[in-house]
Amino acid sequence: MWDSIYFFIMVPMVYIAFATLVIGIAFKFTIIFISPTIKGTIAVFPKGSVPKLCAVRDSFFMPSAFMKDKPFWVVIIAFHAAFLLLIIGHLELIREFAVIQVIPHEVFLGAGWVGIVLIVTTIYFLFRRFKTPWREISVPEDFIILLLLFLTFIFGSHMSLASRYGIAGFDIQVSEYREYLSSLFTTSPHVSRGILASPHYVIVALHVFFANLFMMMFPFSKMIHSVFMFAAQFIKRK
Amino acid sequence: MDIEKRKQLTALMKTRLNRPMRYYLDLCTRCGLCYDTCHVYQGIPKKEYSPVGRAEVVRRIYKKYFRPSGRLIPSWGDAKVIDDNSMNELLEATFSCTGCRRCMVHCPFGIDTQHLMSMAKVLLIGNETAPEELVMLADSSVEKGKSIDEFKDGYREVIRDLEKEVAKHLGVTETDGLIPMEKKGADILFVGLAGAHSIVHPAVIFNKAKANWSLSFFEAVNFGAFLGDPEKMQFIANRVVNEAKALGVKEVVIVECGTAYRIPKFLIGPLPFKVSSIVEVIHRYIREGKIKVKEKSIADALTYHDPCQLGRNGGVYEEPREILNMLATDYREMTPNREFNWCCGGGGGLQALDNEQFRIKSSKPKRDQIVATGAKIVVSACENCISQLDTIKAGYGLDVSVKSLTELVVENLA
Repeated sequence: MWDSIYFFIMVPMVYIAFATLVIGIAFKFTIIFISPTIKGTIAVFPKGSVPKLCAVRDSFFMPSAFMKDKPFWVVIIAFHAAFLLLIIGHLELIREFAVIQVIPHEVFLGAGWVGIVLIVTTIYFLFRRFKTPWREISVPEDFIILLLLFLTFIFGSHMSLASRYGIAGFDIQVSEYREYLSSLFTTSPHVSRGILASPHYVIVALHVFFANLFMMMFPFSKMIHSVFMFAAQFIKRK
Repeated sequence: MDIEKRKQLTALMKTRLNRPMRYYLDLCTRCGLCYDTCHVYQGIPKKEYSPVGRAEVVRRIYKKYFRPSGRLIPSWGDAKVIDDNSMNELLEATFSCTGCRRCMVHCPFGIDTQHLMSMAKVLLIGNETAPEELVMLADSSVEKGKSIDEFKDGYREVIRDLEKEVAKHLGVTETDGLIPMEKKGADILFVGLAGAHSIVHPAVIFNKAKANWSLSFFEAVNFGAFLGDPEKMQFIANRVVNEAKALGVKEVVIVECGTAYRIPKFLIGPLPFKVSSIVEVIHRYIREGKIKVKEKSIADALTYHDPCQLGRNGGVYEEPREILNMLATDYREMTPNREFNWCCGGGGGLQALDNEQFRIKSSKPKRDQIVATGAKIVVSACENCISQLDTIKAGYGLDVSVKSLTELVVENLA
């Protein structure tokens, strides 16, 4: 029975999650696209000399957060920068990208620091919500998403660190992940032998399970802010 | 609340889900960076008075009816049904917000709380629980727009009296034509308020500048906007738009009233004439030499309060400062200022409601700002702000005098 559950998580659920992510985002875009626009402008002043560039700056560097709470800004930037590296790192787990290897590095990139930064910043976000006034403005979704991210990162980080530094006899190598993930993308899905045979298979399955949940929740939760942030910032400047 | 009413309100909500509204309802991460950026929260530190607290009241209802998670697992995002309790929460959130949009400047996503509150206001109107004072004032403005011909003669009589005051300021005896009305081919249509000073002082400036102008039959204030009724807001704004079109003016000049300026300038789409604030016009006349002021004639320390709708939401920051620096020897800036300035607490139609003690408490940041400057004169360029600054002065016993910028210029014309 466990083999079936693991297989479901590692293959069909990944497809379901990815489809939910793509269709969900497309659905959100459609809803936005068919919603009426407003007459005039609801910008605040100064708009900036090049509103679009200002909106890009506001989206990526969040100067308003920097001005308001510098330690929090550092954590936000660290989290999002690490998340970007996380995506790049996972792309390299599918296949080699020469453009990413412009700066030569071992896969998974970051030597374990990407995961550590994500774990630490997620814990910070979570514990911040236990304090007043953030506790009062939080809803269950906020805690659940952070817990989900934490669990995804902790298992992923374990896989990366243990594999790189040979901790706890971790025996799954990058080539095994690449075989598995590339098979998903070439629609000939299978879990590589190295993963299947490893006593650490459960760690991989848990990581994939939580990542699947993350992808499925993404379009329908506040995480969608990463997709629509620029548009909202542009309204402020337009 | 019965099911029919709930359905009706949900349908109403759906009609207001425009693009910015959808972004603002979906984007917030409740990071809390905005929570203390509201002057009301500073004065009365309750969650309900923080921008995120206000927005959540609307967002929770939205989740219940427009998000799968809200329908299936309401507790996921604290989704709430529309009922009497949630309508009361909407009322408290909305009519304690002045729509100053200071929180928008601090929000990392640029979420516009005023825009979210417009959804709440629409629901309150639909539920017939919007503040009666504002409903009556908006209806009365609409009525005036529908039957302006009945008001014209009476209004002309009032204006004849005001012309005498203008003549006194100008030091002339002939009063005829000092406040022209229905002047076809005028360059400027000036829109004042109900108070005599809002017409007399600008009239003095227009006459000094020998401007080709005409006074509007309508008052600039838009109670439809304060009430949050988009149709009434548009109708009230159209009164002036149609008058301006009929006269063929090139420019509509709005009295010192932030909201009245912002609506035609930014919120109702393109117009076939220019819209300016009287502050911009005074600045232009001084720069062009059409009027002259007694430079450095005010010795007392003087500070300027940026009206939110004119400054942060209208972009008029430098003109009033240049005028005041010309008039005063000791001009002092409030800290923070411009887009970060604290709201005085009088906007959003709150002045029309019975809430003076609330407005005094919520204006604590403004009181602190004024005191910190050590200024003896506080100047602003918005009727609402000036009235609220007077309330702050009385409420906190401040030893300052509150002046309108136009009034100050008229007092110091060379």
